[in-house]
Parts: sequence; structure tokens; C-alpha cells
Amino acid sequence: MINVNNLTKKFGKTTVLNNISTSINRGEVVAIIGPSGSGKSTFLRCLNQLEQPSSGEIWINGKEIAQEKNKELIRKNIGMVFQHFHLFPHMTVLKNITYAPQTVKKISESEAKENALELLKKVGLSEKAETFPNRLSGGQKQRVAIARALAMEPEIMLFDEPTSALDPEMVKEVLDVMKDLANTGMTMVIVTHEMGFAREVADRILFLDEGQLMEDEKPDSFFTHPNTERAQAFLEKIL
Amino acid sequence: MNLDFSQIVPYIPFMLEGIWVTLKFVSVSILVGFILGTLLALCKITKLPFLKGFADAYTSIFRGTPLILQLMIIYFAVPQLTGYDISAFLSAVLAFGLNSAAYVSEIIRAGIMAVDRGQTEAAEALGVPYKDMMMHIILPQAIKNILPALMNEFITLTKESAIVSVIGYLDLMRRAQIVGADIYRNFEPLLFAGLIYWVMVFVLTQIGKVVERRLRYSD
Repeated sequence: MINVNNLTKKFGKTTVLNNISTSINRGEVVAIIGPSGSGKSTFLRCLNQLEQPSSGEIWINGKEIAQEKNKELIRKNIGMVFQHFHLFPHMTVLKNITYAPQTVKKISESEAKENALELLKKVGLSEKAETFPNRLSGGQKQRVAIARALAMEPEIMLFDEPTSALDPEMVKEVLDVMKDLANTGMTMVIVTHEMGFAREVADRILFLDEGQLMEDEKPDSFFTHPNTERAQAFLEKIL
Repeated sequence: MNLDFSQIVPYIPFMLEGIWVTLKFVSVSILVGFILGTLLALCKITKLPFLKGFADAYTSIFRGTPLILQLMIIYFAVPQLTGYDISAFLSAVLAFGLNSAAYVSEIIRAGIMAVDRGQTEAAEALGVPYKDMMMHIILPQAIKNILPALMNEFITLTKESAIVSVIGYLDLMRRAQIVGADIYRNFEPLLFAGLIYWVMVFVLTQIGKVVERRLRYSD
């Protein structure tokens, strides 16, 4: 479903991603881990064109996305959840979720509302529909952000450190929602520092270090006996 | 003290008419300035060098020369150049609207830049087109933050509107001068005009407060 060939991204003279190739199949849950500054987020942001690769190709559903002039076409098929939520503060929770489907997909207000309420039920926030984001806790905000992304009915969901900005006791509620989503067969790419979650939910682990893809392994073998020294050192520090 | 307000009583209807005349061209000017200023602000934040250069040059010219000069060029010099006999009202709206746009564009640019970059990214990630993103997501948040600065600009414009009297437009200020010349007393009509300007600005301020409260509803 996603094919990445020799992806390189440079910011000025710094190479953030160095010649990365991998592929992700439909329904797979892939966790990207690695030290900060290793290029994890940049890799994720290249997948929905928030960053333009310096070279290399990204194919999604048989289309090379850098060639596609109309970025909205690609993006409406890929949901993204950010570390800092980025909910629209001047809109109610409900409006946050219905806005893009109504504006981009042109579906009717009543249909968008119905879908949004359904999604809010799924993430356990039905009673918050008319609330403004400022009144929500971090965990609630992130669950709304997930619902907002899902409202576009994307085929792929990207998560950029979705629990890193949360208080510890709110991490679980967000991870639970993501776990449920993984169980529905959604294709997910998750940048995370939650090793327990990655091990439990991911089908594959990509380990990035200094812009290079060092490992691409099943979680069990990655966490029990990583191949590279870099990964060993990284795991020793955090586990 | 040589003060006699009874003498301006017959002129009060004449002067009050000036409120409407002033309000008419000030409100149109504010509207022109706001819309044009928004467009200029959008030009300034694009990556297209031509639009950016145009907007910067525009601001430089209209902010770098006196408003009264711009007004007189439009009213007196344009007919000489084009042969088109421009009305005082149109001249006033053009001068004040174009001038205000230069200031408003900087205010709005500041407002847009203060909106978290993540808002743009979230909208882009959802596939929202640029125009919708600006209209529904970025500008509403920007306007909320810059409302006090915008109100300042509108208040300044309302008061500075008094300089249209130099092109003979019968606004509130000009009427005060005419009354003064008529009765050989200047203090009373000028004080009366000052009071009316103050009331107009007071009302404008109250409107601003109501709008601000509305926009803060989501906090």
C-alpha cells in the first residue's frame, strides 16, 4: 500500500532522512522508534506531504505522491494525529470533526453530524460534542483529534508521538482508542516512545537513528535481541 | 467668559447632518481598508515574490506619505491627469480606504503569524483547500487576537476623517467651520463637533467590546 524508495530529506546541509526504503502493507500497524532527532517525525510528515522529500519516491496505492499536483487528493486519504493535537480552538468538538468532511468531501451537515456523533461514541466522548477544546483535558483533546482524522474515512492513519504531550494518567485512554483502531484493520504508522504499546500492538518496528533506517523487525525479535549496536544501546537506555 | 451656546442652536440640525455624512464615508472606508488590507496581508505571507513585493511596496507608499497629501492628489490631481471629475465622496473613500489598508494589512499579518503553525498543518493534513483554511480556520483566530489593534485603527480613521474638510466635503468638521464663520464664534461649534466625535468613538468602542466578547466565547 505504501512503498518508500530511497527517501532522502535535507534541511539545508543537514540530512534528516538518509536513503530510506521500506514498504507498508494494508492493515499493518508499524511503529517507528528511535532517539529524538533521528528523523522519525520527518519520515511521517513526508508520507502526507507536510514535508517535501529532497529525493526518492513515495508510492501510495500505486501513485507517486510527489508527482500528484493536487495534494488534497492524497491528504484526504491519510489521517494524521499530532503530538500537540492542533484542534481548532474556535470550533466546538462536533464542528472540529464535521468541518473537513463537509468542506472537503462536501457531505451534508446532517450526515457529517451523524458520523461525528458515532465517532465521538467510539472514543468515549459523546457528552462533549458541544464543548470547546479549551475545556478538555489533554487525553480528551487527543481522542477528539483522532475522531477528527477518522471522520475523513482515511485508509491510512499517521500518529506523530500522540501521547508525548500528555500527563501520564491520560496516556492509557489514548492508547486504548488506538488499540481499538488497530483491531479494526486500519493501516497505521505510529511514531512513539511508548515501547510497551509498540511491542503489544505493532506488527513491525522501524528503528531510525540519525536519519537511517537501522532495523525493520517484528516487535518480539527487535525488543529481545536487536541486531544493531545502536538499537541495543537505545533500548538499554529506555527499558 | 465670552461663551454663548444659544447662538449655535439654529445650526444644530445642520451640524447633526454632518454625523451621517461622516459616518457614511468612514464606514465605507473602513470596509474598503479591511478587505483590501486582508488581501494585502495574504500577499505578504505568500512565497510568491511578485505578490509579496507588490504588497510591501504598497504599504511603503501609503504609510510613508501624509494622508492629507494622498487625499489631495486623488481629489485635485487625478482630474488633471484623467479628465475624470471625481466626487468628494469617492475621493475620500479612496484616500482613507487605501491608506487604512496599508495599516490594516500589517495588523492582520501579525495576527496570522501569531496563529500556531500547527493549525495550518492540521488543516492541510485533513485536505482542506487553502481558501477554506484561511477563511474558516486561520483568519477567525487571527482576527480574535488583533481585535484591539483593529479597533485602534478604526478609531483613528474615524477621527482623522476630519481632514476631508480640506477638499470641501461637508463632513462634521467642515460644518463646524462653516457655522463658526457664520456666527463669528468658533469655540461653541468646535466644542460641539468635538463632543460628537467623542460620542461616535465611544459607540465604536462599545461595538468593539461586544464583538470581542462574542469572539472570546470559545475560551
